[in-house]
Amino acid sequence: MKFLRKQLDKIAPNFEKGGKLEKWYPLYEAADSFMYTPGHSSKAGAHVRDGIDMKRLMMTVVIALIPATLMAFWNTGLQELRAIGTDTPGMIESILAGAWHFLPVYITTLAVGGLIEAIFAIVRKHEINEGFLVTSLLFPLILPPDIPLWQVGLGIAFGVLVGKEIFGGTGFNVLNPALTGRIFLFFAYPGQISGDNVWIANREGWTDGVSGTTALAQFYNGVAPEALTAPTGEVLTWWDYFIGWAPGSMGETSTLACLIGAAFLILSKVGSWRIMLSMFLGMVLTTLLFNAVAVNDYMRVGWQWHLVTGGFTFGMVFMATDPVSAASTNTGRWIYGFMIGALTVLVRVFNPAYPEGVMLAIIFMNVFAPTIDYYVVKANIKRREQRLELQ
Amino acid sequence: MNFSNRYIVLFAATLCLALSLVVSTIAVSLKETQDANKLLDKRTMVLRVAGLIEREDQPTPEEIATYFENIETVVVDTNTGNLMVFDPETMKIDPRKDAKAKGLNKKTEGNWAKKAAIKTIAEKQLIYLIRTPGKECVAFPIYGNGLWSTLYGFLCLKPELDEVVGIIYYEQKETAGLGGEVENPRWLAHWPGKKGLTAEGELLVEVVKNGKVVDETTQVDGISGSTITSVAVTFMLEFWFSDQAYGKALGNIRQAISGGTNE
Amino acid sequence: MSNSKKILIDPLHINNPITLQVLGICSALAVTTKLEIAFVMAGALTFVMTSSNVIISLLRNKIPPSIRIITQLAVIASLVIIADQVLAAFVYQASKQLSVFVGLIITNCIVMGRAEAFAMANPPGPSAIDGLGNSLGYSLILIVVAFFRELFGSGNIMGFEIMPTVNNGGWYNPNGIMVLSPGAFFIIGFIIWIQRWISPSMQEETN
Repeated sequence: MKFLRKQLDKIAPNFEKGGKLEKWYPLYEAADSFMYTPGHSSKAGAHVRDGIDMKRLMMTVVIALIPATLMAFWNTGLQELRAIGTDTPGMIESILAGAWHFLPVYITTLAVGGLIEAIFAIVRKHEINEGFLVTSLLFPLILPPDIPLWQVGLGIAFGVLVGKEIFGGTGFNVLNPALTGRIFLFFAYPGQISGDNVWIANREGWTDGVSGTTALAQFYNGVAPEALTAPTGEVLTWWDYFIGWAPGSMGETSTLACLIGAAFLILSKVGSWRIMLSMFLGMVLTTLLFNAVAVNDYMRVGWQWHLVTGGFTFGMVFMATDPVSAASTNTGRWIYGFMIGALTVLVRVFNPAYPEGVMLAIIFMNVFAPTIDYYVVKANIKRREQRLELQ
Repeated sequence: MNFSNRYIVLFAATLCLALSLVVSTIAVSLKETQDANKLLDKRTMVLRVAGLIEREDQPTPEEIATYFENIETVVVDTNTGNLMVFDPETMKIDPRKDAKAKGLNKKTEGNWAKKAAIKTIAEKQLIYLIRTPGKECVAFPIYGNGLWSTLYGFLCLKPELDEVVGIIYYEQKETAGLGGEVENPRWLAHWPGKKGLTAEGELLVEVVKNGKVVDETTQVDGISGSTITSVAVTFMLEFWFSDQAYGKALGNIRQAISGGTNE
Repeated sequence: MSNSKKILIDPLHINNPITLQVLGICSALAVTTKLEIAFVMAGALTFVMTSSNVIISLLRNKIPPSIRIITQLAVIASLVIIADQVLAAFVYQASKQLSVFVGLIITNCIVMGRAEAFAMANPPGPSAIDGLGNSLGYSLILIVVAFFRELFGSGNIMGFEIMPTVNNGGWYNPNGIMVLSPGAFFIIGFIIWIQRWISPSMQEETN
């Protein structure tokens, strides 16, 4: 380790002000602080607060994503092996098969997204942000396993550019970059990111008539929750969906893994429990309302099914809580989360073209978050003024 | 600058008069060309669906006129099934407009009408009897709702109405690249040769989900990734060949086209 | 002379009606899926705006101020109807695809904006140049946007196949967003970004 530090220190002068490679300082800084704690400390005034910085914040999220990522490997492989006829694929075998699909997507994301980050860091003369570590892990997790790699690259490029850099980079973004990228792909290439045939990797070798219809698409066709089937034809139970043994976007299928991540985020106080809880409540109450006035089969589907199918939990735990794009007042968070939950169910049940509503609901409320905060703050000011009898 | 009230009123009146004169002169003098354009556009679609010209061809007005010497426009009374030769001089029939005009339209009933989302249609419809030797067929206008929009098109059947000659869509706003492929000649090329109607008027041809074709003679492979638009095509065909629309006239149409005389 | 040159050139870049003043956005979103349609629309707008500027400018000393807006409106509306009628008679296919958007030139804020801001206060010559310049600024953006939307959305330019699409047996997978209106939003956004990067004077001051 000492050797590494020495080497870094040795080349450091080149990157500092006046050095030959001054322009490339962000790259040096990224490499250095990736391996070592940043050396600088605050210079003015007393700062009595936790030693948390952006890096630790982002690493916490990455750690919270580990269960979901593992399940992404396992389930992607499992679904593929089952589809080509293996009856009970082993765990190791499945994980390896899954890695074969997940890793290329992940590496593409890192390479393309990282390149854009680096270019902007150099042009704007700031440091490469750790936020991208989270974005680059979230993005592959919300993609179908079957997605072509050129679309992965295009998607993350769009997400980073339009979702983040155009607004001025990390901290200024209105939208969640990973979701922006996915939405772009969703509308640009609907054939490769929706429908029946994309949720299971490597479809060659499938028997005819097998299709990887997701639970949400089956609901729309009037299938009752108890009769949901896997691509191979057997009935899937609520527990199967809860654990995550169903076709879907790679990291989204397992509700359990997302909930473990949620617990970690809440305990470490990185993720807002208010947003998660209110989004859950929004979903439950809207579903109950639909259940009560149901006129078609989809409206009768219970809230426990909405929770475990599609990307609801993943969106609730990792996407809606993104501290930059979410509302940042506590009251605002309640409104923001509740609206996402309600809109999700609304889109799912009533829109024939877009089976999944979580992503649309979150992006939509991302846009509204600053407005919500504005009115919450304004209401607060008004209340205080009244208390002080200024009005 | 101060203007008297009298000047203002006078100015406004003069301006309005002058502008309305200019506008109405131009509108009236161009009306004929515009109507001719509309007719030519519709006729081009008929020629394309009947296979008289290639799908990409844009014929000149003279060519269209030549083709139409052998094509007869016929009015179908959807209530009685009676046919009448269409005379553009004396009859004012525009089925698309009439569908919403009280007195000229009728309410539809039944399952297919509901599924194709057609609430009212014109009582009198226009169809085209193509008598070009060797290429005889009948072109039926069809429309109905897809996922986002109403799809407008033509279905063309052989004189016995038992075989599809072709289908065409010329106006729709479905998802580009998915449902929008309903306009793509490559998809439409699946249609020619499929079974049309039985002698009793039952529709045989249908669109099935992508990749689910079992019977090549009657089933058309749906558009990949857009089940709703694909099924909508079946729905509107079922509706238009039911007794609500062309159904009652089928016998008369068979007779008229095989009768062969050019009135 | 340099003054009329400035009147003509400014709206193309520094004072572009779409990307700087953000006017005329709705038609820029609606009629830019195909390059050919964008050209027709650009032509129609150029006709309407140049002639309305000239007519308003000729009448500028005769128009009573109390009814000046309605007068401008009447003149522009008449010109729009004429444009619409002529298109329907002579370029039917394009006018079918433009549908209501030719008629909606009347609501295009650029036209009335120029009539009120420029033609009411300047002689016919400069007014004509101003109308022409602003229509060209509008047309330029329209055509650039339509170029990219047609190329990436359907693989064509002016209807000619450049990149054969997968559905037609080629290799290019068309980008669906480009066919939808948001695609135009993104492209206009990128144009604004590039313009302000080239000419920082266009950037708003930050507080």
